[in-house]
Amino acid sequence: MEFLTLEDAVKKYMHNGIACSFSGCTGFNRNPVAFAWETARQGFKDIHVIDRHGSQCTWILNAINAIGIYETDWMGWAEMAGKLDMNMERLYKAGKIILEDYSHGSMAMRFLAGAIGAPFIPYYAPLGSDLYNPKYDALGRAGLRNGTNPRIAKKKFIQIEEPFYGDGDVILLPAARPELAIIHVPQVGSKGTARWRGVSAIDKEIAFACDKVVIVAEEVIPESEMRNYPENNQIPFFVVDAVVECPWGAFPSAVPYYYDYDVSFMREMDAASRNESDLKKWLDQWLYGPKSWQDFIIKLGAKRFLDLRADSVTGYSTRIMRGKKPAPRMKMPLSVARSGY
Amino acid sequence: MTKTTEELMRLIDRIPDEPAKPSEFILPELMAIAVAHEVRNDDIVFAGTGLPMIGIMAANLLNAPHATLIYESGICDGKTIHVPMSICDHRAANMTSALGGLVDTFGYYLQQGYVTLGFLGGAAIDKYGGVNVTSMGDYFKPSHRFTGSGGNSDIGTMAKRTAFIILQEKRRFVEKNDYTTTPGWWCWDFKTNEWKPKKEVWKNTPFADCGPSVVVTNMAVYRFDKAGAIYLETQHPGVKLEEITQNCGFDLNVTMVKGETPRPTYRELFVLREFVDPELIFLPQKVEYPAVIKAIIDA
Repeated sequence: MEFLTLEDAVKKYMHNGIACSFSGCTGFNRNPVAFAWETARQGFKDIHVIDRHGSQCTWILNAINAIGIYETDWMGWAEMAGKLDMNMERLYKAGKIILEDYSHGSMAMRFLAGAIGAPFIPYYAPLGSDLYNPKYDALGRAGLRNGTNPRIAKKKFIQIEEPFYGDGDVILLPAARPELAIIHVPQVGSKGTARWRGVSAIDKEIAFACDKVVIVAEEVIPESEMRNYPENNQIPFFVVDAVVECPWGAFPSAVPYYYDYDVSFMREMDAASRNESDLKKWLDQWLYGPKSWQDFIIKLGAKRFLDLRADSVTGYSTRIMRGKKPAPRMKMPLSVARSGY
Repeated sequence: MTKTTEELMRLIDRIPDEPAKPSEFILPELMAIAVAHEVRNDDIVFAGTGLPMIGIMAANLLNAPHATLIYESGICDGKTIHVPMSICDHRAANMTSALGGLVDTFGYYLQQGYVTLGFLGGAAIDKYGGVNVTSMGDYFKPSHRFTGSGGNSDIGTMAKRTAFIILQEKRRFVEKNDYTTTPGWWCWDFKTNEWKPKKEVWKNTPFADCGPSVVVTNMAVYRFDKAGAIYLETQHPGVKLEEITQNCGFDLNVTMVKGETPRPTYRELFVLREFVDPELIFLPQKVEYPAVIKAIIDA
């Protein structure tokens, strides 16, 4: 395990055509944005993203056409702040990106198979969906399922009759086996043991399914501290190849108990992606303009960070304006107050 | 004087549970409450972002206080204070009973058969409740590309019953979908290349009887008959039958209409506005309460 700067980690671990996965959950939670941002700046191309949905990371990479194959199940990125990735849609309609559709559960299962070293996994849903229509195999159609690329399975799926219990037909899904996992966590120990709070999405599975793991962390803490409550740790040190310390490295997504998502910044990104001249302006200002990630964060201004800093009890901020009115102060959830648990 | 949330909370039972007049609410409020009415107290609900989430949070405060809410990111039975903007917003994880990841929700909860109700959106729907959230036109050269399945196809086929919220237009209510992301009561058997009842394609699996049960649109509420075909159940207040059939791309069964979709009550609207979405994120347009209700709130 090695400690690297953001620039050096991207230089060392990324390459053109790499198959990689990003951590977090949609554009809202623990996206390794700084890493994707630096990847875009260093100009890597033809990236094969294998993921369970889009994120801030895929938004930035699609904004400069750096993704060649997008193998996932949800091509949006910011839900209520920007549903479909408009950059991706533009690229897809121009034939500049291959999209391979799966479902959320099936991508989770593919990563689980990858994580436990199984070559494939059976999963029921969704039998009878066009996701498992043999005609709609995008990588097969592009001639990429010929066995030459170890990151691309020779078949998208196989439908079989369940042979052990007679439980009808079931779909076999190939394990996900990307080369690199980039996982954003709040805390990493000095030996590489990593933890997060809040939802896990499939980050543990991603870390084990990929050959190499780069951890991007809000803070590096003494390894001895990580051993106090080890049940809170999700990633053991021996799967970690490199650690990058990068405070606010998931902005504008959230890191629970550290900072909240910046919905106004996400709405600006979505608006910018709706036409190419606005997108160019955004990229000049936010991707190419700053000298470093630190410079990017400084450009955002201190006011933003006063609002985004998470409350230590709830894990999010009640000071940001998400809608038309500020968040109310409440002592406890109404559902509990009215009827208990 | 603006009241605190705690002070407002004490008023809930004093707000009359009588239907509001059509001018006193907006359509998304009616739809959210129609969603809420689908939730039973013993349901384990798997919901998507947007109106499904809002409706189910409202149900948790009204008719189904003990229903368990699951969000696909790994959240189980969150007791939220502030409305989440995403299925992985940490607000949704407040006071959860268990917090995990996608393998927990799709594997341990959903494929294991615990989920009784799914609540989802959709871009288009066919006569048998098959939903398209992927693309319109040719799959490889689409006129519209949407986000794709996400959890839609998993939840929509493995939850015991599933409710969909869809914007009703002729091109979205179709005889056959251009792309079926989530199969309904009839779907393709790709092994034999036949269009078949879902029960046959999914025969002997634990999910043969799972499927769509209700569809809520901006015009009406629909259910499914024994053969799996959609029929009109109730029309939203003020929506004419011709408007509904004109905005439907197939021959719609209108012989079993029960009348008007129940209008949200003042109490339901009060809960929705003051406690589910007081930040005006999902329901940004605020309609004034009538004088009687205002008097109770301001007293």
